[in-house]
This record gives sequence, structure tokens and C-alpha cells, in this order.
Amino acid sequence: MDLRVIEKEETMLSIEIAGEDHTFMNVLKGALLETDGVTAATYDMNPEQSGGQTDPVLTVKTDVDVNALDALEAGADRVMEKADDFDAAFDAAA
Amino acid sequence: MTQDYEVEFVERSDREARFLVRGISPAFANGIRRAMIADVPTFSVDTVRVIENSSVMFDEQIGLRLGLVPLTTDLDDFEVGDEVTLSIDVSGPETAYSGDLVSSDSLVGPADDNIPIIDLKDGQRLEVEADAVLDRGREHAKHQGGVAVGYRHLQRVEVVGDKGEFEDDETHILRGVIEEQAAEHVDGDADDGDLVLTEEFDSDLTKRYPGKELEVHDVENAFVFHAETDGSLSVEELTLRAVDSIRSRADELRDAVQL
Repeated sequence: MDLRVIEKEETMLSIEIAGEDHTFMNVLKGALLETDGVTAATYDMNPEQSGGQTDPVLTVKTDVDVNALDALEAGADRVMEKADDFDAAFDAAA
Repeated sequence: MTQDYEVEFVERSDREARFLVRGISPAFANGIRRAMIADVPTFSVDTVRVIENSSVMFDEQIGLRLGLVPLTTDLDDFEVGDEVTLSIDVSGPETAYSGDLVSSDSLVGPADDNIPIIDLKDGQRLEVEADAVLDRGREHAKHQGGVAVGYRHLQRVEVVGDKGEFEDDETHILRGVIEEQAAEHVDGDADDGDLVLTEEFDSDLTKRYPGKELEVHDVENAFVFHAETDGSLSVEELTLRAVDSIRSRADELRDAVQL
């Protein structure tokens, strides 16, 4: 997974995530929005034809006392947690 | 904070299943759906070596048809990019079927034996070696394991009163799965909390609750997945692999961020 930081401040991060599409980005965005300290999370993906970038650009903004990069890490953790919990619930039913 | 998911199967068979997931966000549900379609790899014929093709179709057409035959896939023993060789040798007059494919690996073979490849007339013959490769639906639709994957909100029907005496008895069509909330208004066996496929009452609510005024609500964060596979994987395997693919990407992202 190739990351390219576009803009980085203490409470704001804009990062390009190469090779990903809506499948993962929307899950990640959803998880970030549920994460404590995150005030805004979104991603932008332009279709190639529009002349924009093709890889998604994730933007995260956080509260003053939260580092944006840490929040992203927490978001990724949360996705993994969701996946593990889903696995467990699905296995229990199957 | 842990998530409280609850999974319940409504319908289940080899290749098709309906299961309810409670407590799931729309974003995650859609991620799973998309991953089931495009990110779980399956084997498909990708390269063919034609030894003899005296059938009425071009080599390319035969190649396309072979590519579309679903092949059983064991994801524990293979990874994306792995190849398995299959061969087919049929002489007319006979129809070449997918079941005539002979695989070099017992784990990989046609999921169905009765898919016609081509009808061979007297004197025609088809002999082909085909390399199947493990890849994702994102690369080519022939690699899709899930052929019909979708979800709907779980729905709740509320009886809000009786229908007016002179009101038209129009049908009230609803599809999906409802969670019974008004069992006392149903003829026959019903308990509150039952999960009922709308097909059971012809997808017409007026047949289940005759003469009642109804309101239908979506149950929040409860989605009923309906998944059908092409036979290369079971629905359970497909779902778990899809979730796993999302998890591994999150894992990768976390590692990348930590650096």
C-alpha cells in the first residue's frame, strides 16, 4: 500500500492511498467518523476521464489534542476490529 | 470499543444464502458487498493452447467459453497468480461439456459438469490445453466468485389501524425480509420477532395483514444480505474472504502509517 502525503498539519492530514477504491475507502471513512477525536473524514476519488487523480485522497481533520496521523491509525485499527467481530459473529451463526 | 454484530441465517443452501446482520453500518455492509464481488479471487481459464479445433467456432470463441466456466477454488492452498492446467479432448459427434475438462489438480475443476462448450458434428474434434489462473473479479468478471450479491434493510411492518370500509383493496408489494412485529394480526403461525421472507406471503402485505392499514419501516443498521456464488466457493467462504480482504488492507494501512 503506497501512501503519498499531500498535506500534513498537526490536526489535518491529506493523503493519497494508491491502489484502493471505494470498497476500502468508504469503510475506512465510516470507521474514522466513528473514531473519537475525528471531526471530519472524507475521501475523494476522481474518475480518470475527468483529468483528476485516479487514486483516492483521504482527508482527516481532528480535534486540537489529537494527532491526525494517530487518528488514521486508530481508524485502521477500528476497521480491523470490525472485521474480526464480523468474522466471529458470522462463524457463530454458520 | 467492540462492535456487537449479530448474524442470523434466513435461508441457506450450497450456493445461495440470505443472512441478516444486525449492528452493521451501511459503509461496512457495502464494503463487504463490493469485496464479495470484486476482491475474492477465483480460478478461471485465462490462456488456451489449441491442439486441434475443427469445430465451427474460432479458437478465441472457445477460449472465451472456457474462461466463463466456474472452477472450484480452494483459497487455503493457492494464492493470486497461481496457475493450474486443464485439458479437454472431445471428438464428434458429441457435445463438449465443462465436465469433459480434466484438471491436473484435484482441488481445481469445473464447478458444474453440464455447461455446454460446443456441439461437435461428425469428424470434428476439440483438443485444448487451458491454463487457469487465480485472480480477482476486479481484473475480469470471469473471476467473480459472487454472481449476485446484494443487501436490503431488514423491514418492520407496523399495523396502524384498520383500512376504511370503502377503500380499494390494492396490493401492497414488499420484497426482502420482514421482522414480525404484529403477529396478532396474522392468520396462522406467527410470533413477534420471526424473520419472514416476503415470498412466503407472495410479497403482498395485504395477504398477511388483510384489511389493515400498514406502515413499513427500515430497521436501522440491520441488513439482509442475499448472496449467490457461481459454485467456485461457498457463500460462507466468499463472505469471510471478503471481510478478510478488507481487514488485510486495514492492516497494511496501519503498518504503512506507523513507518
